[in-house]
Amino acid sequence: MRKKLVSTLLSVTLVAAMLVGCGSKAETTAETAAPATETAEAADTTEAAAETETAAPAATGDMKFEIVSKGFQHQYWQAVLKGAQNKADELGVTINFVGPNSESDIADQVQMLNNAINAKPAAIGLAALDTSACLDAIQTAKDSSIPIIGFDSGVPDAPEGAVLANCATDNYAAGELAAENTYAAIKDTIAKASAPVRIGVLGQDATAESIINRGLGFIDKMGELIKADGKTVTVEGNDKYVNDSKCEKTSGADVVIEVLVPAQVTSELSSIDCQTLLNKADTIAVYGSNQHSGEAMVTANENLNKFGTGEGKVVGVAFDSGAVIKAAVKDGTFLGAITQAPVAMGEALVQSLYDAASGNSVADVDTGCQWYTADTMDSEEIAQNLYD
Amino acid sequence: MSNNKSKESAFTNNPIVRAIGTQKIVVIIVLLVLFGFFCIMSPAFRNYSTILSIFDYSYYITFMAIGVTFALITGGVDLSIGTGMICYGLIGGYLITQKGMPVVVGIIVTILVAMLIGTLNGVLVAILNLPPFIATLGTMMLVRGLGSIITGGISITWPPAGSEQGWFRSIFKISIGEGKFPIGFIWVILIVVIMSLILNKSKIGRYIIAIGSNKEATRLSGVNVIKYHMIAYIISGFFTGLAAVAYAATFQAVAPGTGAGLELDAIGGAIIGGTSMTGGSGSIVGTLLGVFIMSMLKTGLPFIGLQANWQQIITGLILIGAVFMDVMKKKKKA
Amino acid sequence: MGEVILTMKGIDKSFPGVHALDHVDLEVKKGEVHALMGENGAGKSTLMKVLTGIYSKDEGTIIYEGREVEFSNPREAQAQGIIIVHQELNMMNDLTVAQNIFIGREPMKGHLIDDAKMNEEAKKLFERLNIEIDPTESMGNLTVGKQQMCEIAKAISHEAKVIVFDEPSAALTESEIEELFKIIRDLREKEMGIVYISHRMDEIKVITDRVTVMRDGGYVGTLITKDCTKDDIINMMVGRVIYEDPKTESAVPKDAPVVLKVENLNAGKLVRDISFELHKGEILGFSGLMGAGRTETARALFGADAKESGDIYINGKKVEINNPEDAVANGIGYLSEDRKRYGIVVDKTVAENSTMATLKDFMKGPFINKKKEREVAQKYVDSLKTKTPSVDQLVVNLSGGNQQKVVIAKWLVKNCDILIFDEPTRGIDVGAKSEIYHLMNQLVAEGKSIIMISSEMTEILRMSDRIIVMCEGKQTGEIRIEEATQEIVMQAATLRN
Repeated sequence: MRKKLVSTLLSVTLVAAMLVGCGSKAETTAETAAPATETAEAADTTEAAAETETAAPAATGDMKFEIVSKGFQHQYWQAVLKGAQNKADELGVTINFVGPNSESDIADQVQMLNNAINAKPAAIGLAALDTSACLDAIQTAKDSSIPIIGFDSGVPDAPEGAVLANCATDNYAAGELAAENTYAAIKDTIAKASAPVRIGVLGQDATAESIINRGLGFIDKMGELIKADGKTVTVEGNDKYVNDSKCEKTSGADVVIEVLVPAQVTSELSSIDCQTLLNKADTIAVYGSNQHSGEAMVTANENLNKFGTGEGKVVGVAFDSGAVIKAAVKDGTFLGAITQAPVAMGEALVQSLYDAASGNSVADVDTGCQWYTADTMDSEEIAQNLYD
Repeated sequence: MSNNKSKESAFTNNPIVRAIGTQKIVVIIVLLVLFGFFCIMSPAFRNYSTILSIFDYSYYITFMAIGVTFALITGGVDLSIGTGMICYGLIGGYLITQKGMPVVVGIIVTILVAMLIGTLNGVLVAILNLPPFIATLGTMMLVRGLGSIITGGISITWPPAGSEQGWFRSIFKISIGEGKFPIGFIWVILIVVIMSLILNKSKIGRYIIAIGSNKEATRLSGVNVIKYHMIAYIISGFFTGLAAVAYAATFQAVAPGTGAGLELDAIGGAIIGGTSMTGGSGSIVGTLLGVFIMSMLKTGLPFIGLQANWQQIITGLILIGAVFMDVMKKKKKA
Repeated sequence: MGEVILTMKGIDKSFPGVHALDHVDLEVKKGEVHALMGENGAGKSTLMKVLTGIYSKDEGTIIYEGREVEFSNPREAQAQGIIIVHQELNMMNDLTVAQNIFIGREPMKGHLIDDAKMNEEAKKLFERLNIEIDPTESMGNLTVGKQQMCEIAKAISHEAKVIVFDEPSAALTESEIEELFKIIRDLREKEMGIVYISHRMDEIKVITDRVTVMRDGGYVGTLITKDCTKDDIINMMVGRVIYEDPKTESAVPKDAPVVLKVENLNAGKLVRDISFELHKGEILGFSGLMGAGRTETARALFGADAKESGDIYINGKKVEINNPEDAVANGIGYLSEDRKRYGIVVDKTVAENSTMATLKDFMKGPFINKKKEREVAQKYVDSLKTKTPSVDQLVVNLSGGNQQKVVIAKWLVKNCDILIFDEPTRGIDVGAKSEIYHLMNQLVAEGKSIIMISSEMTEILRMSDRIIVMCEGKQTGEIRIEEATQEIVMQAATLRN
């Protein structure tokens, strides 16, 4: 009995020790999750952060920025953080970079935004998961005269003047870029097809503006290109995308663009959506509009082995990077993918925050995007924006 | 009380039905009907690759569900398995990909950490007497943060299939030439047999059922209830560790902050399979069948063109039906 | 009687605010049945809990088989051969009978439990006890009486040297008690030491060799059973003569109005065509063996179980009773045989339990008027002489008799005119029993009417104005108290067709 108690106490202590041990590491930067691209870099960041915190007040007053991101579960955000931290070090300001646990946690993010406002920073950077949920908080910030700079998906439809500028990938344009490259690969198939063909679009959700715009940009551009070549096109699937796209909805079109969105953001449900598309005989291409969807495409392909180039294969196009997507592009499973420039985005964001807080005028910054394939992904220009 | 007995139908009195259990028979029938329905409605569903996928996506939920069945039988619950699975997968994967450890070490650590958290749940519930719902809700949040913290918040990609370190993925699925075989199912069957024996034929199982039935009486019978109550949660933890490995093998990428809600899929599967929420009864075979109903629905409904939200509605209805059967069974007994 | 096997000497135990045991002695010899008697809260259960290590003693020594022992849990005591057959049934309803009996010491075949052997062993045990129970049946499907027999079988199946029976007969019928006594005599032959706790004076005289009496946590004395009278024992326990005088004739006038009339009530196998009338101010006894369908009849009448057919009239007016709510609305109160399961909420206070059925009368807007609740509860604590430090005491801390009084209070607060007492004195000791009897007589004198279900023949004969006898779900007799004898009632109770 006593022995057992000791052993159980021991295990409790162990767990506690683990927590404490990890906790100290976590203090370095973020609140919910400690971001660090790699361990070595994490150490650097820690030192840098510590330095700026002590050095900053002397150099630039107490300039402190709160940055509310969409979370950390994709390395993409680590790259944004890296850029932001670099710029902050350069300018001698302090940043507090936070984000919810997952991109479904809209309420958590609103809470973080409120906390950020209460911290009375010089300016706030915001990548809203759901713009409408943030509107109240944005108004509060405006009333408290805290400038907000949007980044990533930005903060569309915000009250006039509350969001001074956006540092963002033009997601709609990125979607268009994906469509142009996809179309180049399927143009002949469409031209030769005797029966209607299908192009699938996988969206992680129908709430985040960045995801929606990447989808809509792709759909609209694809429709435009197909029509230019004398074929008809229609959109079906998720209502949000169907209603917002510029394509006309007709029956009996030559090309069907089908948009699927899972009920819940889990790897399993997104994979099943992709499988559903791949199992349809008339599917010729699938586009996944973020890292989550891209990874789900790889999982779905495991058993079906449909992606690739050539006869009977389906063209796969993804967005962002990560080890899984990079490997799929490299080995030819995917035709290619779009990458944003997260490092540049982080830098531009902190610069804009600094300018806004210093009373200078700020304007929207398009941080850009690139199309990469197996051939181009190792070039330095692109490789710097890819991550594992 | 006894009027129900006299009204019992020929169906429930059939010796075969009695041996297998009414609820399981119903579940098997539902499973077959669903399968037949999807096969008829969608030609693509009949593909071998679809069956493969149903297996692929079922492993991790099956493992979690087998584990949580033990917690449920004690009259408790383990809510920490969903976020826990992701946490353990992150920790194991982190050691492999970031620390360069061999995959086998990663897998062992994954399972050990899972058992450690299972032990923590056991301490909270069996020794400190916290209500299981609250205790495991706490650990659910705890592990959700823990995974993110240990990996530094990044998502972890376990080694891919072709790579030197990717052998672990063929634990569940092997490729021979062009063909792929879901050998994971063999392990699942083996585990179901072993765990059924443990539940029904070993002291561990017997005492876990007894605890769920009447903990005080079990204690007065001279059984070390604290020990066996804890074992139930450690088993739950162990299987969550296995689930983490299966998850990594299927999806490769493990993202921090996810996993909440998956425990409900597992608990739902166990309950559809006839495990009682109030403890005292349950079966591993039932749990397996229940999980397959859930997997079948998740995979099948998109094939017949039903949008995502319908899947959840239908799964919810089936769950309510299963609990209703449990309540009716209890009422008949009373 | 052989040599001494167990000696407890100067056992002292205090809980915060209570001196539960004050230097108590108990000596058990091999081959003797030793009665342990005492009123509510006299400390019998506490003493047994000290013996088996559930509580640790503050002072005193326990000598077992010649050496001093101190068990730290029931398991250790059990391993040494000291077993308790508990008063409250301690069964795992989801396990089978055999699994229950062998829990904690399953026969193994390698790493797996040998269920076949276990069932075999259980069967042998039952054969020895001469009772018919299927070892593979789920425990939850057995009647309370059968469950009790399993509990005894379980104790016997241990290599026991000392067996403590804590009110084993409370749930048993007369014939089952006979079986039990046969078993106990058999165990005595085998040189076991037996401690027998019971409140039935008749049994004490029949089965025990010596009696140790406790009062208020203290040791009063030990007597040789055959050398003393019932009154000697009772006087030692309470110092006064207590039972209500047995009824020889009914005090209910012939023309007393019929308050409840039941016609052709049917509900399953155990309630077939039951018809009876209950008069104002009457105690109507329901007698029969276990499984005769008395409780089932009461439950169907009360709406607790669905009935198939039958009409119920209250004060001449036909009423629909489909659930307990309807019954309560019609002024019927039901005191279950299984208080713990159906009667009280153990982890609520006396006051909260008292007002459970009438809470809406205690509301002040959206809130419960705690003050009024406590006042009313206190009134009934006083009038029923419920022994509790205050109305804020949790019911779980009260003794069985006092718990029963709280249940009675609940229905009195509701002002029910018809009360169904299902085994009202089961598990209640002599002193409290007398108070419950007195209370029942007082209630009918005030114009309430009572249906009393009882398995205790003396209770039926002592309390009833009229007796309905049931056997296997059918009504097999209606006997006026003036004509009733034990033989007549038993004959009707075994009238099978």
